[in-house]
Amino acid sequence: MIGFATIATVPGLLIGMVCGLIPLGIALYYRQLRPGLLGWLACAFSGFACGFLGGVPMIVLTTAVVISYAYVNKQDPFTSRAALAEVNFEETRLELLLRLLAGLGNSVRAGLVALLRNKAGFIGFLGVLFFFLMSVFGPLLIPYDGRPHPDRRLPESRTLFQAPSAQFPLGLDWQGRDILSHVVHGGQGLILTAGLAGVLTTIIAVVLGALAALLGGVVDQVFSAFSNFILTIPQFPLLLVLASVLTFESNVALALLFALLSWPTLMRAVRAQVLSLRERDYVEAAIALDLGLWHITLREVLPNMISYIVVNMIFSIRVAMYSIVGLVFLGMVPLREPDWGVMIFVGRQQGALSNSISVWMVLAPVLAIALFQLSLVMFTRSLEEVFNPRLRSGL
Amino acid sequence: MINPAPAAAAPLVALRHVYQTYKKDNHLLRVLQDINLEIHPNEILCLVGESGCGKTTTGKIIAGLLTHTEGEVLFKGRPPASYTGARERADLRRTLQIVHQDPFASLNPAHTIGQILSYPLQRHGMVSGRAALRRRIWELLTLVDLTPPGDVVNKYPHQLSGGQRQRVSIARALTVQPGLIVADEAVSMVDVSIRIGILKMLHRLREELRLAIVFITHDLALAKYFAWEGRIAVMYLGRIVEIGPTPQVIGQPAHPYTRALLAAVPEADPDLTRHKQQIPLRSEDIPALAAIPPGCAFHPRCPFHVPGLCDASLPPLAVPAGFQQQAACLPLHQPEGLRRYGT
Repeated sequence: MIGFATIATVPGLLIGMVCGLIPLGIALYYRQLRPGLLGWLACAFSGFACGFLGGVPMIVLTTAVVISYAYVNKQDPFTSRAALAEVNFEETRLELLLRLLAGLGNSVRAGLVALLRNKAGFIGFLGVLFFFLMSVFGPLLIPYDGRPHPDRRLPESRTLFQAPSAQFPLGLDWQGRDILSHVVHGGQGLILTAGLAGVLTTIIAVVLGALAALLGGVVDQVFSAFSNFILTIPQFPLLLVLASVLTFESNVALALLFALLSWPTLMRAVRAQVLSLRERDYVEAAIALDLGLWHITLREVLPNMISYIVVNMIFSIRVAMYSIVGLVFLGMVPLREPDWGVMIFVGRQQGALSNSISVWMVLAPVLAIALFQLSLVMFTRSLEEVFNPRLRSGL
Repeated sequence: MINPAPAAAAPLVALRHVYQTYKKDNHLLRVLQDINLEIHPNEILCLVGESGCGKTTTGKIIAGLLTHTEGEVLFKGRPPASYTGARERADLRRTLQIVHQDPFASLNPAHTIGQILSYPLQRHGMVSGRAALRRRIWELLTLVDLTPPGDVVNKYPHQLSGGQRQRVSIARALTVQPGLIVADEAVSMVDVSIRIGILKMLHRLREELRLAIVFITHDLALAKYFAWEGRIAVMYLGRIVEIGPTPQVIGQPAHPYTRALLAAVPEADPDLTRHKQQIPLRSEDIPALAAIPPGCAFHPRCPFHVPGLCDASLPPLAVPAGFQQQAACLPLHQPEGLRRYGT
């Protein structure tokens, strides 16, 4: 299991509440009560979810947003309508810090606005958020029901399999355990492993694709040949074979293996994108201005690919999730409860495919996985707008 | 001449017998043939021709952004290979700047105007300190008439109009204090009403900053307006067919191609257009670069062509009798050339 430090804790909540005082104080100083309170809530909430690690970035972000609200009223001399002679360009460290934070805050606000603008994307965002919150905060509300409960057999039912009822909204499984608690507790490992696999895939693909396109020549040929070689191997069967040979003690290893097998598709797309982007006029202008290869790669080419990369990362996460569930379903990786994949595996073993009474064991995790996947797909719609300055133009 | 010292009057860029060819499906595309040009400091040179005649390629070779296949290109009197030091090379690179045709493609959509201008300023240490950087950005924006600068400095390119973007593009070229700007169709994608303003600004910048400007256009009327104090080079299918001071080329065109181009320029006054003498071309089709006609490349379309002469040998670029500009037309160089034209 990947170290999932994101289980809600009381100390985390305290850290978050204390951290949140910083944006709140600044907001009160600038007489911006509403963003201040929202900032405090965001800090407390993220501290609750992720402890110190979640609290600190949140302070920075919310402070930035609060300051950007304050800056709406305060005219920055740099963007004033004054003429050249009337402007004083000197500024103190503090003013620079405020200006930079205001810039960051504007970006965050513009991103949030873009996130909210696309309806389908926003619904997807809510779905992803729901599953995230369920995995993080759910365990606080619903304790894990891991032991068999023969006592839960109802007088009129013939087995422990039970359809949803008011007491057990998703029913009981073959040992009389609450399926809802398994759904709530079983997402963490799967989502994190799939997420890690997607991120690793994207990193490998972007680095290799960009190198192939920028260096060209032998490097390009070797990388492309290598990616073609991996592409010709059917991915899932190979994963299956490897999984049966190797034993995956950690999910990190599984994620890494998945990444090593699935980077070529995205790498070819990234390579093609870089090849196209580097022919743009603004790249030629950067060459004429002698801005250097690093600048051209990181500042001219990469920012125009970010939305594409992020969207593809989401898609790799989806594919990784299906693959991992598939492996678990076939029993090729060590089974650890609670896990959505293991739930399907056990459900099939208990005859969910042929016997209608055990269908509830499978239905709940399948729905959870399908809904999470759907949310991810819809979420990408909004992400495109968030990362594209042309679409984000609002603010 | 192992290490020729650059003379005081050495041209900024000199092209000597420059050829540019591409191989495509076993065809040899001769994009440029035997181009000879000199661009001096603070000079205006206008490259005019139809699309596909090689004027953009010439511009990119002048800007040092494209390597030619044959011939010699001298920068400040020296071949580029002789610029060995990193600093020397960087200085040369920054001397030559380009302003692209499409202001929607030449500015990175991911950066604000302030960022676009700050990158070259910071990279080359043109300013020291944040305040100086911001002041310089304001100065540059004021220089290209984007006032007040505070209005545009934090905007993204897509929030500006075409004309404003083209001004930003020019300001970006000015960040590194260049000696020459290649303006590749710089106003052809800008609204007509904005064009004159940008051209006037380029004129002013040329005088204030002592820039040389290579102005590439397909529009002779624009060339006439912009390059009146400079020279015009008319290109056809990869060759310069006529080159000389603008008043002479416009007022007394020598080459039939130039005459046809001038006759095709619409005048604002409809009466003038109606009574203008039209020069009917023999063919409207421009030959493909893969199959350039032998002899004078223009002869299949030329209304004045002389069978047996024009299609037989290459016309040299020389000053015909009675003209002050060079033209590559064989009948013109014959003793009775002028009479044949009735000029």
